[in-house]
Amino acid sequence: MSTEESSAVDDVGIAAGVSVERPWALLVLAGFWGWLGSRWINDFLLPDSIAVSSERSFVPVDPVAAAAETLGSVAAALGPVGAPVDVVASLVGFVAGSLPHLPPLARGAWLTLLLTVAGIGFGFVLAVPLSVGRVYGGRWLRWLSLSYTELIRGTPLLAQLFVLYFGLPLTQVIRELPGVGAGPLPAQAFWVAVVGFTLNSAAYQAEYIRSALESVDAGQLTAARAVGLSRAEGIRYVVLPQGLRYAIPGWSNELIYLIKYSSLAAFITVRELFFRAEAIANDTFRYTELFVLAALFYLALVLSASVVMGWVEERSSVPGVGGRQ
Amino acid sequence: MTLLRIDDVYQSYEAEQVLQGVSFDMQQGDVDVLMGPSGSGKSTMLRCINRLTEVDSGDIWLGDTHVTAPETDVNELRQDVGMVFQDFNLFAHLTALENITLGLKRVKGVHAEQARERARGHLDQVGLGDQTDAYPAELSGGQKQRVGIARALAMEPKLMLFDEPTSALDPELVGDVVAVMQDLAAGGMTMLVVSHEMGFARSAADDIHFLDNGQIVESGPPEQLFEQPEQDRTAGFLSGLQADGPQ
Repeated sequence: MSTEESSAVDDVGIAAGVSVERPWALLVLAGFWGWLGSRWINDFLLPDSIAVSSERSFVPVDPVAAAAETLGSVAAALGPVGAPVDVVASLVGFVAGSLPHLPPLARGAWLTLLLTVAGIGFGFVLAVPLSVGRVYGGRWLRWLSLSYTELIRGTPLLAQLFVLYFGLPLTQVIRELPGVGAGPLPAQAFWVAVVGFTLNSAAYQAEYIRSALESVDAGQLTAARAVGLSRAEGIRYVVLPQGLRYAIPGWSNELIYLIKYSSLAAFITVRELFFRAEAIANDTFRYTELFVLAALFYLALVLSASVVMGWVEERSSVPGVGGRQ
Repeated sequence: MTLLRIDDVYQSYEAEQVLQGVSFDMQQGDVDVLMGPSGSGKSTMLRCINRLTEVDSGDIWLGDTHVTAPETDVNELRQDVGMVFQDFNLFAHLTALENITLGLKRVKGVHAEQARERARGHLDQVGLGDQTDAYPAELSGGQKQRVGIARALAMEPKLMLFDEPTSALDPELVGDVVAVMQDLAAGGMTMLVVSHEMGFARSAADDIHFLDNGQIVESGPPEQLFEQPEQDRTAGFLSGLQADGPQ
């Protein structure tokens, strides 16, 4: 235990780094979410009569573009010593060029967020029984959950999405469901992607939880049994509460992967963040700007996830189990 | 009244014979100590009594309960047999109080508030009334072991099993745990203790069973075993213990 305690100090990860050592990062993230949230409220909730058009940027584009142009000419007039001004000019130019594309990207980010949250949440619900079956199940159950995790982890996520979307009648079934694609509910491709990410993420999460369960001392279950708890109760009340706390760092990793992997949903026509960026880039030929912009969105989402998971880890830890010891 | 009857118990672990025909009885209120070299089967003997380990053959009776019968409900049985572990095995994610209430709530079906009340009582009994909200990681070894004892007592067992309760403790912490065990013994609890703690054995034990190679070599009251053992093996082992001091 003492060796684990000393290594846990190095194991804090980005999360605490962002929140403790770089408060400005939290400010930037707060600004990002404030903007994103108001964009979603404006686009999805406010009636058209009072909302800003969902195609228009909150910040007017023209003054920013004009400022970039002015800065550019100042830099040119200064000659070689104007190089720093030129850098600022091109940054402002990038912002001016980006502003018109932010509204559709914000709508894409909404689907990215939904896909990720649904994938991690439903995946977790599947992963707990999978990992418990793997560690505590009989031969048959162990084999079944091992096969599932190896099959899913051994094949590309994109191939899994294609099989679900093109290969199985799932798409038809979902299309027939009431409400799909109507009003605020996304169309069937989104739901197929949710199924895909859930099935995929469950396998990865199950692996993280399995190794965490195995790190819970065997004496814990023995003691639970000695008190008179059944095996299932011992797992439920003693092993899982500890194992899940140990699983949080690995589990945070899975969340961060999933945010980025959710871009694969673009290949089955889900209009999420990456899909939007690529579509605009194809229209405008501004590939570099759009993909840099999309990357910045993903970066902000990932950093936010780190902060949230760091907080969850701290809040759920008790002395001796989980968290920063 | 005979509370515990061990009758010709055999147990093996992967081709290795651990217990080879162990028999002894304990009366209600008895305190017996199992001693013997490591690997002699002491811990296995304890674990057979609450069925954490299954016997190969032989019978164990706890009062009217046929412990070794396959149809016996082990979860019922274990409420009657408290167990204290060498490594404490406190539930690491629960406070001292919650370690005790878990069994009361989930096994005995005691209401939460009443369970907390009873748990506080048991913590007071082992001298830890001021540590109810401490997590195991915040307690010393001696405190952990006393919580372990309180956790077992809370189930109101007929028999308490102690598996080397003091051997993982720093020497200066042994006394507190031994004192709690002596209190229990004086209060009439039936206790079967695996320990080389001579002080406890001398002061509290009714009988000492010396176990070697899965068999009871010799049994008797402490003064007889310590002063005039009949078997050379017993004498050799005990003189070694006394020379080394309590373990």
